[in-house]
Amino acid sequence: MQSNFLKKIVPYTFVFPALLLLAIFSLVPIVIALLISFTGLDITGLGDWSQIKFVGLSNYLQLFQDNAFLQSILNTVVYVVVGVPLVIIVSLTIAILINSGRNSFFKMMRLVFYTPSITNTVAVAVVWTYLYNPSLGLFNTLLAKVGIAPIGWLTDPNVAKLSLIILAVWKAVGLNMLIFLAALQGVPRSLYEAAELDGANYWEQTRHITLPSLKFSIFFVTVTTLIAWFQFFDEPFVMTKGGPLNSTNSVALFVYQNGFQNSNFGYAAAGSFVMFVAIIVATIIQFKLQEKQRGE
Amino acid sequence: MKKLKRTVLLVGSLLALFLFLTGCGSNKAAANKTLTFWYAGDGDTAVKPIINKFTKETGISVKIQSIPWSQYNDKLLTAASSKNGPDIMLMGTTQMANFVSSKSLLDISKYVKNDKTLNPNNYFSSSEKTTKFGGKYYAVPWYVETRVLYYRKDILQSVGYDHAPRTWSELYEVAAKLAKRGKNMYGFNVDSSEPTFGFMFARQNGAQLVTNGKTQFNSSEMVGSLKYLNSFIQNGLSPKQDQKLTIAQSFGGKAPIPMFISGPWMLPTIEKEAGLKNSQWAVAELPKGKTSNLSVTGGGNLAVFQYSKNKANAVKLLKYLSKRENQITYYKNSNSMPTLKSAWTDSALKNEKIQVFRRQLNNSESMPLLKQWEEIGQNYLKAWEPVALENSDIQKAMNKFNKQTQQLIDK
Repeated sequence: MQSNFLKKIVPYTFVFPALLLLAIFSLVPIVIALLISFTGLDITGLGDWSQIKFVGLSNYLQLFQDNAFLQSILNTVVYVVVGVPLVIIVSLTIAILINSGRNSFFKMMRLVFYTPSITNTVAVAVVWTYLYNPSLGLFNTLLAKVGIAPIGWLTDPNVAKLSLIILAVWKAVGLNMLIFLAALQGVPRSLYEAAELDGANYWEQTRHITLPSLKFSIFFVTVTTLIAWFQFFDEPFVMTKGGPLNSTNSVALFVYQNGFQNSNFGYAAAGSFVMFVAIIVATIIQFKLQEKQRGE
Repeated sequence: MKKLKRTVLLVGSLLALFLFLTGCGSNKAAANKTLTFWYAGDGDTAVKPIINKFTKETGISVKIQSIPWSQYNDKLLTAASSKNGPDIMLMGTTQMANFVSSKSLLDISKYVKNDKTLNPNNYFSSSEKTTKFGGKYYAVPWYVETRVLYYRKDILQSVGYDHAPRTWSELYEVAAKLAKRGKNMYGFNVDSSEPTFGFMFARQNGAQLVTNGKTQFNSSEMVGSLKYLNSFIQNGLSPKQDQKLTIAQSFGGKAPIPMFISGPWMLPTIEKEAGLKNSQWAVAELPKGKTSNLSVTGGGNLAVFQYSKNKANAVKLLKYLSKRENQITYYKNSNSMPTLKSAWTDSALKNEKIQVFRRQLNNSESMPLLKQWEEIGQNYLKAWEPVALENSDIQKAMNKFNKQTQQLIDK
């Protein structure tokens, strides 16, 4: 009886420090944010807690009537729908290409594609702002050389979103490529040899051996990329501040602007909770799909 | 028995861990007497020399923490909510209303009233107003800035003007001639990223922005001034959007943008980076609108943190930094213009370009001191953007903006 109890309690003591940190730095703030989202907390309430008013659901109701918020949801959906598949396809393709050889050229290319991911997003975004500069940027200068009119990379509301996606994909490819590459190197050579004997060509081998073997890494990359793109923030924050005409504003940036620029903490907390729920729902759907696949 | 022992041990070790985790933060506050000073910008070149002198004279050591302006507000918010921050800090004039309302600033009225250097009459009244809320003083004006017209003398001469435009109609006239110089050449920059720009012109046209808590952003004066600004953009006299040019590209050489309005911080930038001779460019007081040429006063104040444990010494430093000679040294180190009127007689400020700012300060007011002002400014930029980019209806945009702002203030 006694040893039974100890057996049960000992594992918990080992995970307790981790749980404690998780609680202090993750769970408690989430609960506090949830509570704040039902209040009208602003800069006055920050200094004097007696001034904080409970406003029920009105922050949430107001959010869904706020054009800026709806627009930022739409923008975020575009980021996710365009960006996530693009990242997976591009990084998988590059990984397969790089995996096809072993000499120093392939090693160098691996480095070339990986470098963007170890650089700081803000620094990179500043450099890209120069590249995108309407009159002096590298891109427009090159376009002018071949006689194409300058493109307002960050100033044209129809193009700006795409410009940010290009940058974010360029940056995200490296790490995911590495994950795919690691998985690829775990696929047994014997499978390819057998397929070759059966007369399967390169494309068939890729489709029927490589892709199925990468199922788990594709799932992992999808979930992490999805979450990252839901929280799309750095690029628009540094490069466009959400403009022009709100066309690049993301939900995360909307939350930041309301919280830290306008000091509407209650409203910003409500916005961040909407984002939180969206991410959780998207991840649960992913997991369900994955389970279904595994069951088949 | 054994079980009890282990449980005690377990609980004890957890308790120790907990104490360790919570204890980290608490033991530093009481011990030392060093003042912490938060400064936005490069504190080492700007204030360090003055602080060093202060330490030598009083024996009070001061730690300067330099924080970039872009992160300064975040940092102050964190201090306000945790009630744990600096002893003394720089406050942007537009941040004052916010942090007074969060009760983060010490009421220093009694010092202001009893001290010769801190006497409000010594300062520009538009600066002094940004320190006073509900009849109480929460800060001392430290440096001041105002907007003036920068222009290229030689290029204006080449189109037949030997002086800067003095009125709105003249400004338009000159800009139109300058824009005719060729493709991608403009006359004047209508700043679409600066929230105060439109409000400044509106006031020159006789508009009141907010009177007794009632917003006036859709008045005919306001709309009229925005129509005036929009005519620059729609007729190609001003770029539609920020061209992301360096000052050398926009103002140096052939100067695609030979006239723009900005603050004193552009003086050293142009001197160092534009590659121009001193005779090629100048600054002038703003062109006069229907009622005035009122500019926007901004700048920084010095405030003591409400939750400082070292208030007496913080006030000492506040007084020291406000002395005439230290305001002048600060100007020399940082180009930030003194708020102390008497400091302007010093030879360091004799420069003709600086004196233009001095004259403009007689006609300059700060923006309304509302805690929602930052948000109002951002909303205004959003309302203005479709006007500049798509030439949409100004009256409609301002009606909507006015209603939105009224709701914001009433909340």
